[in-house]
Amino acid sequence: MNNDAFSQCHPLTNFLFFVGAIGFCAVIQHPIYLLAGAAGAAGYYLLLNGRKGWKLIGGLIPVFAVLSALNPLLNTYGKTELFTVFGRPYTMEALLYGMVIAGMLAVMILWFGCYSAVLTSDKFVCLFGGLIPSLSLLLVMILRMIPSLTRRAKQISDTRKSIGKGLTGAEGNKEKIQGGMRILSALTDWALEGSIVTADSMRSRGYGCAKRSSFQIYRFTVRDSVLIGLMAVFSLGTMLFGGVDAEFTPEIHVDNPTWGLVCYCAFLVIPLLLHGKEAVCRSIALKKV
Amino acid sequence: MKKATVFNIFLILVLIPATLFLGTKLKGRWYYLTSTLMVIEIMIPFFLAFETRKPQARELVTLAVMCALAVASRVAVMIPNFKPMTAIIMITGIAFGPEAGFMTGAIGAFASNFFFSQGPWTPWQMMAYGLGGFLAGLLFCRRRTARNPVFLAVYGFLSIVLFVGPLLDCCTLFTVSNHLSWKYAAAVFGAGLTYNLQHGAACAATMLLFSKPLLSKLDRLKEKYGMMDARTA
Repeated sequence: MNNDAFSQCHPLTNFLFFVGAIGFCAVIQHPIYLLAGAAGAAGYYLLLNGRKGWKLIGGLIPVFAVLSALNPLLNTYGKTELFTVFGRPYTMEALLYGMVIAGMLAVMILWFGCYSAVLTSDKFVCLFGGLIPSLSLLLVMILRMIPSLTRRAKQISDTRKSIGKGLTGAEGNKEKIQGGMRILSALTDWALEGSIVTADSMRSRGYGCAKRSSFQIYRFTVRDSVLIGLMAVFSLGTMLFGGVDAEFTPEIHVDNPTWGLVCYCAFLVIPLLLHGKEAVCRSIALKKV
Repeated sequence: MKKATVFNIFLILVLIPATLFLGTKLKGRWYYLTSTLMVIEIMIPFFLAFETRKPQARELVTLAVMCALAVASRVAVMIPNFKPMTAIIMITGIAFGPEAGFMTGAIGAFASNFFFSQGPWTPWQMMAYGLGGFLAGLLFCRRRTARNPVFLAVYGFLSIVLFVGPLLDCCTLFTVSNHLSWKYAAAVFGAGLTYNLQHGAACAATMLLFSKPLLSKLDRLKEKYGMMDARTA
């Protein structure tokens, strides 16, 4: 669990923020909005992950470069010809459009990275447990079993190694696959056997007799209502003020920024501002001690 | 009429056409959002059917085990890019029926992304893997004679190269293309082909070696404990 202030809010607040941020990012192709989104997403991602966050951001740069450079090869609309490739024009407009689209993808991946860090599986179940009880129970069980099965698979493979059937690099792919299937087969037996015991034990403890309740650690406070209200106001502002249109091919046309851009930026910095506010309050409180 | 049925009719007759209509009317680049909303709307009836049926504990735990096994299977074989996941999802569909195949695929993809990362691809992966399991279940669940490993391997390969893989590529197409055209589609599907062939080969190899033992284990479970019988018998 992360310690930043926004992660401590109610899951609903978190979820609505990401729906807004990712939704706007997927739809608005205005370059200034895109830059604002990139700054917001990268800032929050770095706040959540610290120095490790640079790894993903650094990895996205080559993806961005390749995707932007590829677009003009497929899309030859545009007035300003830079040079020709295979007899086809490589235009500046298409290159810029490619950069915007690649940027949208990169920003979306960053937002999803933040989402994964903030909306952990327990928050997801807290949000949807009431709506889809069986499915969220299924999800919780799977999330518990994946690490335990991975561990068991390692145990089985270690055991096989100790009787000389280990999978080392020297063998060919065929042996590797065959050995892997043996491990998988043993793992299946082990896991399915256990599943019957679990299920019977669940039934004898009354699974399915009454409505399932779930452990809820998150409380919806005044802060959450204020944040959701602010998010609603800012996203409505972004939508109603307009000025988000941008066309690239055949001719570049970009709307002038309006108050909508201010609303959009205000929406995006909510988690960062919340963190800043907490940090300031904390330092003031520490001075008083 | 049941509530779920009413909702499904509403979904198909109102929500999906409304999404399509809005997607074509609004200015800007709406391909990704429109198509992803459609994907989610298409999956809802499956989840709703599962939820309203109130599955028993045994069914729930077995499905959870199959999902976890599909995700954890990639540790067992230490070859990069060798993913037996799809084959296990398909085998689950064949043994327990199309609905179980769909749930294993969709929820398995969703759960595995908690360990890697959720992304714009999550709904598409859920849909592609889910339908892969569903289709296998639909075709082979009632036909015991068709459970020949070689036949299943061929089926697995083809269904990934022709169906599951292209569905995943659609996600790439809608995220990276600036306008939809056949040229773009050809470029994206062409770029995905090598990866899909690799994925399909992994699935075929898993089917060839693992479908017989796994199917017999699952059949034994079904027979011994009388599970999932109402729909598959």
